[in-house]
Amino acid sequence: MSEAVVQDKKRFVVPIGPQHPALKEPGHFEFTVDGEIVTGATVRLGYAHRGIEKAVESRNWTQSLYLLERICGICSHVHAMTYCLGVEKLAGAEVPPRAQAIRVLVAELERVHSHLLWLGVAAHEAGFDTLFMYSWRDRETVMDLLESFTGNRVNYSANILGGVKCDVTPDLASAILKGVDFLEERSRHYLNVVTTDEVFLQRTRGVGTMSKEVAERLGVVGPTARASGVARDIRIEAPYAAYADFPVQIVLAEAGDLEARFVVRIKELFESYRLIHEVIDKLPPGELQTRMPRKIKAGETISRVEAPRGEAFYFIKSNGSDNPERIKVRTPTLCNMGSVVATAVGHQLADMPMILAGIDPCFSCNDRTVAVRDAAGALVTWESLRQRRLAHQENK
Amino acid sequence: MLVDTLRSFFQKPVTRLYPFERNASPERLRGKLHWNPDNCTGCCLCAKDCPSDAIEVITIDKKAKKFVMRYHADRCTYCAQCVQNCRFSCISMASGEWELASTSTEPFTVYYGNEADLEPLLGKAPPPAVDMP
Repeated sequence: MSEAVVQDKKRFVVPIGPQHPALKEPGHFEFTVDGEIVTGATVRLGYAHRGIEKAVESRNWTQSLYLLERICGICSHVHAMTYCLGVEKLAGAEVPPRAQAIRVLVAELERVHSHLLWLGVAAHEAGFDTLFMYSWRDRETVMDLLESFTGNRVNYSANILGGVKCDVTPDLASAILKGVDFLEERSRHYLNVVTTDEVFLQRTRGVGTMSKEVAERLGVVGPTARASGVARDIRIEAPYAAYADFPVQIVLAEAGDLEARFVVRIKELFESYRLIHEVIDKLPPGELQTRMPRKIKAGETISRVEAPRGEAFYFIKSNGSDNPERIKVRTPTLCNMGSVVATAVGHQLADMPMILAGIDPCFSCNDRTVAVRDAAGALVTWESLRQRRLAHQENK
Repeated sequence: MLVDTLRSFFQKPVTRLYPFERNASPERLRGKLHWNPDNCTGCCLCAKDCPSDAIEVITIDKKAKKFVMRYHADRCTYCAQCVQNCRFSCISMASGEWELASTSTEPFTVYYGNEADLEPLLGKAPPPAVDMP
């Protein structure tokens, strides 16, 4: 964490970042402080912009799938699934029910790994490294399951346009159930730890509290919203893939503080374990893939999926060729970032890393576009950049 | 949590001493690509959908269906889209071959094909990069 105190005429501003503001990803925060107490906060994002949306336009529909899967290293399946569901909707393809159920299965296994990862990271931010080490040790169970199921620990590449690549064999099913039962027992233990450990509770109880009204006003999504009592879950509101056949029970908490976010996420793990059991027990028989055309019918659509962090949103536009014309991605971190700024006020500066970690941010995923302004404050456009380059070459 | 900590004093470490101790790789692990020229019809669907341009199918003789594959292991993202695309099951990904790091770039360009077809491409020199070390 890089810190320097800037003295304004009236106030102190503590800049944190852009390197490692609590997490190992770039983002810049400026906290105005009165002594140790934060009185204002601003956030600046865009340090990890990779231009994926633009790059997708020069790739065909299948190649785009693998590029979009790499938007996030934690919820890669979610991105691939959101894209596939959208493109299949555009093409009017009927995906076999077994493929949809396997998509749900991988998504829930991914949620388990993501929430356990977050539990470790958040505990680490609180200085509770023992919990960090143990939760990550147990997380290896689900990572190994994902590896033997799909063929890779991350970027599973389980999806293909029109279905999935990997099937569930009886051996695999029993291995998954065994692993999930072990994790369920461990998660019960962790739920007990985060709600009873006195030292840890001092870092979480009553810290970063966000009321239901504020959460609704800021449009917060995912477990962050559910910890404030906002019943918002795409799996329930607009069931996709096979979630209509495998309904999810919403997990809510009222307190809205960091403790509630821990509780909601760990309780969601139990819901995921239950769902994994249910999907494996009632896996519909049938094909894994349906044929997809190389050219997708012209049109536009949206696709929404509940990622571990909240709603992942895709806008997909096709002009009838074999390349997408436009794909717009919005990841849940962008929606939740406002809550960091809103809840920071009134807390100690030392609580900021915890409040930031509380939304489970994923900086690189949310950096979609960067607006650059010149010295006069005018927006620098693509065309003006091109002109500048041409002028530069001429001067040479 | 304290019980956990105390208990782990009497347990073996969870981590393994790689490379001395190795885990068996899962059956489905996507490792290095292998190509069997026998059934290839030269449709190039594998190369067309490759997200990272890792596959080149070189035509030696179109009528006799003689093809050679140049595979760039350093570009490959190991997504197995080519395995899905191939209708003649020519492409497979070896689950055991995943330790592909190298200190030079040469081993990353791999040629697959019948020896007679490869000869004009590789010249008289012995094929240095037909397989990785």
